[in-house]
Amino acid sequence: MNKIIVVNDIPEIVSLDDKIEFTFLEKNELFSINSLKIKVKKSTSLEIEYRSQENTKLDIFISVKENVKFKLFEYREGNHTKVQYKYYLEENSKTDIDKFYHLSGAKEMVIVNLNGKKAEFNYNLKTISVNEEKYDLIVYHNYSNTVSNIKNNGVNILDGVLTFNVSGFVLNNKKDCILNQNNRIINLTDNKCQINPNLFIDNNDVEANHSALIGRFSDEEIFYLQRLGIDESNATNLLIKGFLLSDFKKTKQSKLIKIIDQYWR
Amino acid sequence: MHSLKIINLTVEVEKKKILVDFNLEIKSGEIHAIMGPNGTGKSTLAKVIMGDPYYKVIKGDILFDEESILTLSVDERARLGIFLGMQMPLEIEGVTNADFLRTALNIKKGSDFSLIPFIKKLDQTVEHLKMDKKMIHRGINQGFSGGERKKNEILQMYMLEPSMIVLDEIDSGLDVDSLKVVGENVMNYYKENNPGLLVITHYQRLLDYIKPDYVHIMMNGSIIKSGDVNLVKEIEEQGYEKFTTPKDIISGTYTVKETSQNE
Repeated sequence: MNKIIVVNDIPEIVSLDDKIEFTFLEKNELFSINSLKIKVKKSTSLEIEYRSQENTKLDIFISVKENVKFKLFEYREGNHTKVQYKYYLEENSKTDIDKFYHLSGAKEMVIVNLNGKKAEFNYNLKTISVNEEKYDLIVYHNYSNTVSNIKNNGVNILDGVLTFNVSGFVLNNKKDCILNQNNRIINLTDNKCQINPNLFIDNNDVEANHSALIGRFSDEEIFYLQRLGIDESNATNLLIKGFLLSDFKKTKQSKLIKIIDQYWR
Repeated sequence: MHSLKIINLTVEVEKKKILVDFNLEIKSGEIHAIMGPNGTGKSTLAKVIMGDPYYKVIKGDILFDEESILTLSVDERARLGIFLGMQMPLEIEGVTNADFLRTALNIKKGSDFSLIPFIKKLDQTVEHLKMDKKMIHRGINQGFSGGERKKNEILQMYMLEPSMIVLDEIDSGLDVDSLKVVGENVMNYYKENNPGLLVITHYQRLLDYIKPDYVHIMMNGSIIKSGDVNLVKEIEEQGYEKFTTPKDIISGTYTVKETSQNE
């Protein structure tokens, strides 16, 4: 398994096979932010773990070559982070990203360039938001027949103020693209959370869906669980665990369960 | 011996009365069937028994073992031994059936809960219900067909071992084979555990498997006629219209002849 462990913006452990080319650019007089460059040359998977004891800033560039299938799992824990991702996906490539965040604050910008026919980008973010977190995600469908499936899920607690801004762009001469956005925030505070889904589509032959939901779990869901003798508090805990763990493989879940149990045992 | 007694119950939703002076008593070992046209309040009755806060009880009482349960929450009623098998089971992403049932039994049994007997019983019941074992580890009802969802309700019933069971249209969405499996499993549970059983249905076909001692016709929020299993045949042959004439309405009570259903 390919794995990179990044501590305070510096890659401390890098264990990669020859399917991935990795470059670390340390900040200098010209560039004030550390950068990671990842080039995926053949189909493979990668896990990146980020740990930060101090506020951090990082630029990450990921390019996926044509016909390559790439799975990325990212786990981020620690202090406030400010990150910018840029993805470049070539023709007929497929990128699946699963991310789990547990931070004391975050500001993240993700820019996705679908730069070849049939390029597909599947994105799944789960975060436990305890402070201010803002996620901007922009997908450019630069070619016809490209696909993006975006799912942002967050549970907002304590001093959390969570924002998802998600935008998809399709230009006039790019047809048969598919854009799906599914964003949900379970807000367990009185703080104001926001979801801003945008679809900028200038072509009629496009399939696009978006859903955005902020709130608590529905009365029907709580009733369904309570009906078996589970009290409201435990029912909510069970629903939160399900909400945060769904879409992750069993092998990844054990680590995440420990984090979730800190709040909802 | 347990009993569920519904006395002069009037229930409203958004200022509209759904149940009106409703009366019914179910004891351990009795099987009651409620039939009636759509929109007559059958599912409301099921949810009110279970304590769904959406429905407002404005008059009357519900007693379980002679104690009022109106102030109890849904989960407290469940822990008394009341179970509702729902007409439209929800799909809940991420929470697996196994986690759901384990959490419920953990709360119910406390320190008496033991994982190995739980797994053994779960496996056996899944087999009896002819369910795919993989469903246990999938999200609750996630990607399940209508029939699989209903079987899942019966699985929950088996695992929780309730003493008073309400099954709300458990036959809807079932094909012939699944109906047989569900019907037979409900009856097996009944024979093994002697619960009180209230079956809400539109069709006689479920009652081919679950033989009721008492059959009630419900209209406009009340029981208008009660009888034995022969009443089902009347309904099948003549529909509900016949029972809407005033002479058939027995206000607030019902009488039942001795039946041979327990033979």
